[in-house]
Amino acid sequence: MPVSPAHADTATPRLQVQRLTKRFGALVANDAVSLTVMPGELHCLLGENGAGKSTLSSCLYGLYRPDEGDIHVDGKEMRFASPADAIAAGIGMVHQHFVLVPTFTVLENIIVGTGSGWRLPAAEARPKIEAICRRLSLALDLDAEVGDLSVGQQQWVEIVKALYLGARLLILDEPTAVLTPQESALLFASLRNMLADGLSIILISHKMNEVMQADRVTVLRRGHVVGSVRTAESSRHELTTMMVGRALSAIEAGERSHDGTTILSVKNVSMRDERGVSLLSDVSLDFHAGEILGLAGIAGNGQRELFEAICGLRPIDAGEIMLEGQSLNHRNPHEIYRMGVGHVPEDRFKDGLVPDFSIAENLVLGDHREKPWRQGLVLATGRLREAADEAIRNFSIACNGAEAIVRRLSGGNAQKVILARELARASRVLLCNQPTRGLDVGVIEYVHRQILEKRDAGAAILLASEELEDLIALCDRIAVIFRGEILAVLPGRQADIAEIGRLMAGGTDMQAGDQDGDRNGARNGDRGMSN
Amino acid sequence: MWSDLLNLGIIVSVLAATIRIATPVLFSALGEVTAERAGVYNMGIEGTMLMGAFIGWLATYESGSSLIGLAAALLAGAVMSLIFAVMVISLKIDQIVTGLALNLLGSGLSTYWLRAAFSNMEKVPGITVLRTWPVPFLSDIPVVGPVLFNQGALTYLAFLLVPVIWLFLFRSRLGLEIRCIGENPKALDIKGHSVAARQYAAVIFGGAMAGLGGACLTIASTAHFVPDMVNGRGWLALVIVIAGGWRPGWILAAALFFSFLDALQLQIQGVGIAIPYQILLALPYIAAIVALMIRRRASRAPAMLGVSYRRE
Amino acid sequence: MAITAVMGYRIERRSTRSPFAWALALVLAGACALLVCAGLFIAAGADPWQAFAALLKGGLGSKRAIAETMVKATPLILTGLACTIAFRARLWNIGAEGQVFAGAMFAYWCQSALGDAPAPVQIAMIVIGALIGGALLGGLAGILKARFQVDEVISTVMLNYIIVYALSLLLQNGPWTEAGSFFEQTAMVPDAAQLPVILAKTRLHLGFLFALVAAAVVHVMLLRSSLGYEIRAAGSNLRALEFQGVKITRLIIVVMAISGAVAGLAGAFEVYGVQHRLKSGTLGGLGYTGIIIAILGQLRPIGVVAAALVFGVLLNGATLMQIKSGVPSALIYAVEAIILMFFLIAWAASEFRLRRLHHVE
Repeated sequence: MPVSPAHADTATPRLQVQRLTKRFGALVANDAVSLTVMPGELHCLLGENGAGKSTLSSCLYGLYRPDEGDIHVDGKEMRFASPADAIAAGIGMVHQHFVLVPTFTVLENIIVGTGSGWRLPAAEARPKIEAICRRLSLALDLDAEVGDLSVGQQQWVEIVKALYLGARLLILDEPTAVLTPQESALLFASLRNMLADGLSIILISHKMNEVMQADRVTVLRRGHVVGSVRTAESSRHELTTMMVGRALSAIEAGERSHDGTTILSVKNVSMRDERGVSLLSDVSLDFHAGEILGLAGIAGNGQRELFEAICGLRPIDAGEIMLEGQSLNHRNPHEIYRMGVGHVPEDRFKDGLVPDFSIAENLVLGDHREKPWRQGLVLATGRLREAADEAIRNFSIACNGAEAIVRRLSGGNAQKVILARELARASRVLLCNQPTRGLDVGVIEYVHRQILEKRDAGAAILLASEELEDLIALCDRIAVIFRGEILAVLPGRQADIAEIGRLMAGGTDMQAGDQDGDRNGARNGDRGMSN
Repeated sequence: MWSDLLNLGIIVSVLAATIRIATPVLFSALGEVTAERAGVYNMGIEGTMLMGAFIGWLATYESGSSLIGLAAALLAGAVMSLIFAVMVISLKIDQIVTGLALNLLGSGLSTYWLRAAFSNMEKVPGITVLRTWPVPFLSDIPVVGPVLFNQGALTYLAFLLVPVIWLFLFRSRLGLEIRCIGENPKALDIKGHSVAARQYAAVIFGGAMAGLGGACLTIASTAHFVPDMVNGRGWLALVIVIAGGWRPGWILAAALFFSFLDALQLQIQGVGIAIPYQILLALPYIAAIVALMIRRRASRAPAMLGVSYRRE
Repeated sequence: MAITAVMGYRIERRSTRSPFAWALALVLAGACALLVCAGLFIAAGADPWQAFAALLKGGLGSKRAIAETMVKATPLILTGLACTIAFRARLWNIGAEGQVFAGAMFAYWCQSALGDAPAPVQIAMIVIGALIGGALLGGLAGILKARFQVDEVISTVMLNYIIVYALSLLLQNGPWTEAGSFFEQTAMVPDAAQLPVILAKTRLHLGFLFALVAAAVVHVMLLRSSLGYEIRAAGSNLRALEFQGVKITRLIIVVMAISGAVAGLAGAFEVYGVQHRLKSGTLGGLGYTGIIIAILGQLRPIGVVAAALVFGVLLNGATLMQIKSGVPSALIYAVEAIILMFFLIAWAASEFRLRRLHHVE
């Protein structure tokens, strides 16, 4: 790994933040945070969700105004009234959720909001953008619609956009969340080149392997700076302990306890969208009792569609889905859930909860017309409340009781409400799509324990996650999905992360013959397991 | 009797009427598409047109000048949409509810004002209607001349506005920003530009155009203002924007289609075909529902249409 | 989020609405609405005090005035409830206006087929006919939305225009036209079909009680029934409901039909309780006012009843106001819209608060 240029103590820092405080009502999101970033430095901001990383970066980018403290850029004190001031000072930002217009071209996305007068600044912008792309050895079609680009390319559009606006300090918010390990490696190689040109980068991340590539790490916990260390003088273990405030216990998945009879089988399932684009093609998977099947893949490669197909939320065009000998095709989701299937959907607030309903009301969502929640024509509110009180106790949901409105719950507590509902249903199958995304380490552990308990109770479990390390730790087998196709099913715990990453990208760096062999092998393996 | 409609003179007069009738809805629809491209769904067009029609008429009557009347109608439309913009953009009140409230305000206020201003008169007075402006030479071309070039000045203006709005939305810097706001306002916000300011401008322009559209109904066609005389044209403008896929050229086509139905209806009654007039009058509204039914799902609608932008 | 900062204060959006701020905003909004109305009185050359006094006297001044206020409130309670049901599911049914017509027309069609049946049968038929008529038109808009993705706001508005022409078609030299009449109206309905008066020497009819019962039923339906649960859930997050296998298309159609049915009652009660004949022009505006009533009532049936009674006072008092002060009674429609706008502004504004900045630069 290349070492960043040594900066003499006399050099002016690119960014110096002194005792920055930002409050939201009673909540102190940043409490006297200080931070120094030198030119050419890759500086990592490490912290759990809610530690104050986003608030800090929003203050640096002019989206929030800090209540106290000051910000110096290249030695000059700055007060950012809006992002325009931050951009003028040379700060650029790539948001975790890209801020692009899918129907615009790459060029339009970059130039919108720049220039003056009536004319589009397209003609003068094009050569400048092309020059930036050349410097990054990037092949970017400026006239392609952004919606047609891969997620990785969209990331580059964001970076080029920031550089075009003249960024000398680039803030990257979880840039690799949507990338394969290989794409991430490529990104980091390019970042190194940019650093060599004198650019400074603040990297917001919680992935330890990336964090270790930074020159310096500042760790935030509950709005405070816990410490700022040179990575060369620290270790993963030390940084994790700083971030969480205690040493983490590794998950002990244990061995699966059941004989592995097939509960759910997905056979040759294909699905197309309205325009005829293939979403799932010829997907075959067997789900065994007491086993966790992991699903690895870059977001948008058919994971969501597979979950929705199994739950009957989206019709399939070919193939069959069987639950213990009964076909699920043409059944509606409600019937399928009643057969013992639980579904923890990807987007908890959008798919899984009614935000304006109480915890009690959310716990019966879907079963509200069934006994025992119905009493004649009306809902049995008394019983509902009792059940909710029990769930709040069992799942230790932090709230003001059964009537608490779900909208006001934190992400972790909201997820617990969904878990309470879905685990109760999942006597046979539990489907979890990104169940721990955006949650704190403590809650993640809790969710994982619940999933393992369900496994030990003999349910078949499908678990999709972006955290490959979690998948490897938890799953008995891991299926890799790419463009709606299952490219391989690998044995769990011994799986090689690099191999999964290669398959997530479509296995492109392999010979065609190899890939076929690989897929056949995967099928054989699958068959072998179900025997 | 149906064959009477195929006479050349009748055809020319139907087509000329189509162009004339399209004028008010075209103004309103072109204004509305600008607002909707900026993500703001102004459902208060009906009420805004009504105020434009009334104030334009009133100002023409008081001043004796159609030009002052038109200016007043523009201003009335702008004020109406300013109220809307404050409620929707700054206060983030639901756009649909606010739009409906604006319609009720326009209807109530214009009716009351009319009654209050002329309560002591036997009969509400009339104004002199704008005359047509035949374009020299061009209006002498057979068929095309009387259809296209023997219209009022406002009609020429409305049709000229179609390419102007297209150029603005698709070929200008500000137009790109406006479309960006309709698709993803944050993309502009994080470059440090005010989303609200651009939305205000788009909405107020849209309102002014609706006011002008309303004024066409009085200043350019009838001497009197009648309560609720806009009679659904504002709503048709909304349908036209959807049916036209938020593109000025197609909006023109949709506007011509609906006004053709209206023009045909006048002519059918004129030649004495025995269809109850109620069916003919209901035709554009039925056509509007059918048009929305056969149009594929609103895929080309701005992604953030109707959603108030909040940072975070 | 900071909006502006002036002299060390900043307006911020708060996460929860404080009841105090809401009450304050309401009082301010009421005061603003009164001021604007006073302005309108003065513009019409009237003395605002006199006009207000006449308005209140006309609406509440005597037993008869109060009864008449209730008569005026009856259809508004029903259209307000109709809008409440749909709005709770975030279905913007603007079609109460047309559904009022449909209910009245279908009730008339059903009742006129009865001949001289006894009164209870006639009234039962009127109620059933009204419910069906309104449900058909509301359900049609529901089908258009659920099956053809036609925006319900636009489809219901278009249907409002269409149904008015349909009534005019039936009344003008049509099958329902009163023999020998120049007006677009039917003959008087038989006495047995008229809704009985429930307070002697006034026009207060049985429909008012029906409207109150309807409010109670809608209240229970929304808060306690499974359907109400689905309506409220749909209003908050339709997708979560869809994820549970609830058939959204069916729900949309059902909600629109129920909403239409309640609006339909308003039309039939106006015809059989007040006008005693079906004629064009007298049913207009009830549905649009219902939208205002529903929002002022905060989409709660009890609130709807209260708002409808207040508007009943305005509508009823307007006549006396016009006689006494010469202010055109059309003022009421402007006033209704102004009240709605200030109410909306108050609701939104109470989400904000002024905060003193900690460290002013």
